[in-house]
Amino acid sequence: MLTLLSMFYYICLRRRSRSGTRGEALNSRRAVESGQRAVLPVSVEVEQYAKEVLDFSSHYGSENSMSYTMWNLAGVPNVYPSSGDFTQTAVFRTYGKWWEQCASAPLPFRRTPEGFYSQDYIELGFEEPVYPTAVEVFETYYPGAIVQILACSHNPFSQNPATDVRWEVLWSGEPTKVLTPHARQFSPKIKHINFPTNLLRLEVNSSLLDYYTELDAVILRGVKERTMLALYKIPHIDISDLSDSEEELGDAGGPFMQGDGKPQRTGNGYFDKLPYELIQLILSHLTLPDLCRLAQTCKLLHQHCCDPLQYTQLSLQPYWSRLNDASLGHLQSRCALLQRLNMSWTGNRGAFTLTGFSSFLKACGQSLVCLELSCCHFLNEARLEVISQACPDLQELNLSSCDRLHPQAFTHISKLTHLRRLVLYRTKIEQTAILSILTFCVELRHLNLGSCVRIDDYDVVASMLATRCRSLRSVDLWRCRNLTDRGLNELVSGCRMLEELDLGWCPTLQSSTGCFQQLARSLPRLRKLFLTANRTVCDSDIEELTAWCPSLQHLDILGGSQALCQVDAEAHLDPSSPLAPIGSPMLMDVVVKGNAVEIGCTQTSTYTTLYAREVRVGAPVEADNRSEAWGDGAPG
Amino acid sequence: MLSVLSYGRLVARAVLGGLSQTDGRDYSLITASYGFGKDFRKGILKKGMCYGDDACFIARHRTADVLGVADGVGGWRDYGVDPSQFSATLMRTCERLVKEGRFTPSHPVGILTSGYYELLQNKVPLLGSSTACIVVLDRRSHRLHTCNLGDSGFLVVRGGEVVHRSDEQQHYFNTPFQLSIAPPGTEGVVLSDSPEAADNSSFDVQLGDIILTATDGLFDNMPDYMILQELKKLKTSNYDSVLQTAQSIAKQAHDLAYDPNYMSPFAQFACDNGLNVRGGKPDDITVLLSIVAEYTD
Repeated sequence: MLTLLSMFYYICLRRRSRSGTRGEALNSRRAVESGQRAVLPVSVEVEQYAKEVLDFSSHYGSENSMSYTMWNLAGVPNVYPSSGDFTQTAVFRTYGKWWEQCASAPLPFRRTPEGFYSQDYIELGFEEPVYPTAVEVFETYYPGAIVQILACSHNPFSQNPATDVRWEVLWSGEPTKVLTPHARQFSPKIKHINFPTNLLRLEVNSSLLDYYTELDAVILRGVKERTMLALYKIPHIDISDLSDSEEELGDAGGPFMQGDGKPQRTGNGYFDKLPYELIQLILSHLTLPDLCRLAQTCKLLHQHCCDPLQYTQLSLQPYWSRLNDASLGHLQSRCALLQRLNMSWTGNRGAFTLTGFSSFLKACGQSLVCLELSCCHFLNEARLEVISQACPDLQELNLSSCDRLHPQAFTHISKLTHLRRLVLYRTKIEQTAILSILTFCVELRHLNLGSCVRIDDYDVVASMLATRCRSLRSVDLWRCRNLTDRGLNELVSGCRMLEELDLGWCPTLQSSTGCFQQLARSLPRLRKLFLTANRTVCDSDIEELTAWCPSLQHLDILGGSQALCQVDAEAHLDPSSPLAPIGSPMLMDVVVKGNAVEIGCTQTSTYTTLYAREVRVGAPVEADNRSEAWGDGAPG
Repeated sequence: MLSVLSYGRLVARAVLGGLSQTDGRDYSLITASYGFGKDFRKGILKKGMCYGDDACFIARHRTADVLGVADGVGGWRDYGVDPSQFSATLMRTCERLVKEGRFTPSHPVGILTSGYYELLQNKVPLLGSSTACIVVLDRRSHRLHTCNLGDSGFLVVRGGEVVHRSDEQQHYFNTPFQLSIAPPGTEGVVLSDSPEAADNSSFDVQLGDIILTATDGLFDNMPDYMILQELKKLKTSNYDSVLQTAQSIAKQAHDLAYDPNYMSPFAQFACDNGLNVRGGKPDDITVLLSIVAEYTD
């Protein structure tokens, strides 16, 4: 009897191992035989809100706050289905096209693939790994910014170190501009993937929007187990990674290392008739993966594709999910003439080791002029030291949102004495390091110290800027907590060439000290001025600005004093648009374009957006008719 | 010989007694709120928990139960500012802070400080001022941590007697300490107290303790003995009886407020300061009544 039973079990086991789908039936039969109750696996759909926000590239709010910060995206929705501007939502730092067009923006990199639109990102961890069936995003204001959703195979809450981290694109699309700014639930059709995930990444592009996009919550729907394998299409092997093609290339490198002196057979047909430079020109339009694949086709094209002149500008940001040490190793040999390198967003979760990155920089850093390392969390003091030693002629360095960098690491930047553009948005740089940088980097043209909360005394920093960095063109002091009129006056008297100045959310600047009027008089080249949420800005400040700054194109006086808003609302709103009662405080976001002014007003209680028609602010050349637009019409 | 034994016994008893004190049970607060706005302004129901210019919140977190009341200062109405906005936003912000765990139970003034800071992060300039009182029960350690800025406050009642109470903080008569956000340029003129000026206290609580947190609308109209009389009727620690008691206290205070002949505590205080008045003080009344019970999910 026992042998019969055991034979039966043996046969069942073998059958079960051969085909998974019949296993359940056998399982239940076996269960009946053995007298136990077996539970059939049911594919229950699990719905989860984000548990924690793990990483992001920027946000509007200040660190340690819950207003307009990225941490609001975790958990259940706070605001949806209401639409409007609420502090309980997640808001990115920028919107619109201005940020790409201003002087402090980096030049676009060549070879950026057409489908890559992402400007910002946020990574969310969920409680349980599931096979995703749907992702829903609650957008509560100006939707349409999400351009890509990715899923990761690594569990961010597990204690194990990250190994074999894979990112898969669930959905990607173009940035859109929805007709009305109202709330919506965005649920694109996502691809099915063959690994369970509890780490999602949303990538965002807000350049088409008229105001900040605001996100409230994200739902991940998925199943815990995939029961019927046949129903899910197992995707083919991913499109060849950068690494793959380079590894093959590495292997293929062998046969090309011919001995010297042997003339090679050139049987390339018409390609031989084309001048070298022409083929180079054609190749310069290819994206990087295509270039690597093309290199594998034949010896001639391999020679072209490995020509260092093709790699004077290298943007690895669009391929952030697929890069590792091996990729850097393969690119190293071609990058001897590298001048501009964009490695933003790369190398996280252990993709780069110290040696990989260091050897790459040492090989390619000699002529490097621009280095973008935004959100690169693999950076540490050692690697910054390598950068400062390997790239002596560096002129542009972007360490935006590298918030895990130890404050000590920034002292190495002062060795880069030719720096012209330095972005330290949301880093932990401290007072001594920034002062030392400003002492040595006297050629600075663009400096971004937005949300640098560890700097103790911004007045001293401003004073140092005025003394040492007189050719400064733009400075971003967004949310600097303690800049006072003393520091601002010194800054504007020392740096006369300033074109862009961001003093948003600086609560300690008071208009009554006359600092804004002093600013207007001292900076004739001013093109952009942000005085966001400064409650003390008043009419006379605006009048001075329009009088003395003829090139002013972009002015943000959001939350300015009530009197100012009242007057403007009275005088300039288009009568056909729904008018708000004049007495209520209004928000103003003003863009000056040529002779026209666009005033975006958001009424406090209903959050409708009103736009003024063309309002004369005064022709850029003549300053006389300035008061026509501002104030109550009284001249001067 | 005998004395050694007796000492030994005493010591052993004390030690054992001390050990058994650490009771593994978590405590929690069963809380009900009730109140009246001064002018019965109907139709301006701001997400509940707002009575006229007063606002309150009740929030739970993993480790603590938190209550708060805020009394919006009515004087802003003369300047075109709605006083209920500040208190309501302050309380909602503090509630959110608690729910997201951005606080330390033993440091309730941190909730006020963070809440006030968050109010400043609004794009829309939020004007107004209010008092504030925050009460935090740490479930595990059975300690109640409180902070009070202004003339709202709390009472802790055990066995029919008041064992703890908050002190009123006033600058001068009818001008309590207050958190405020003033229009720019008026900083010197408008009273604005820092959250750090709040009174803090911490003490142990026992099962069955009753905590009454309220705005001055209650304390100015009902003296302690009347409140204690009402609280005697609270026998069980279920939500319905707590709500019923809270309602009866608030209603009684409301009735007394409009009695022109009654010598209310407010009138008494005024008389003591040379103002010859009688009667109740019509004001917004907010009552949060809590009883300490064992924690159940």
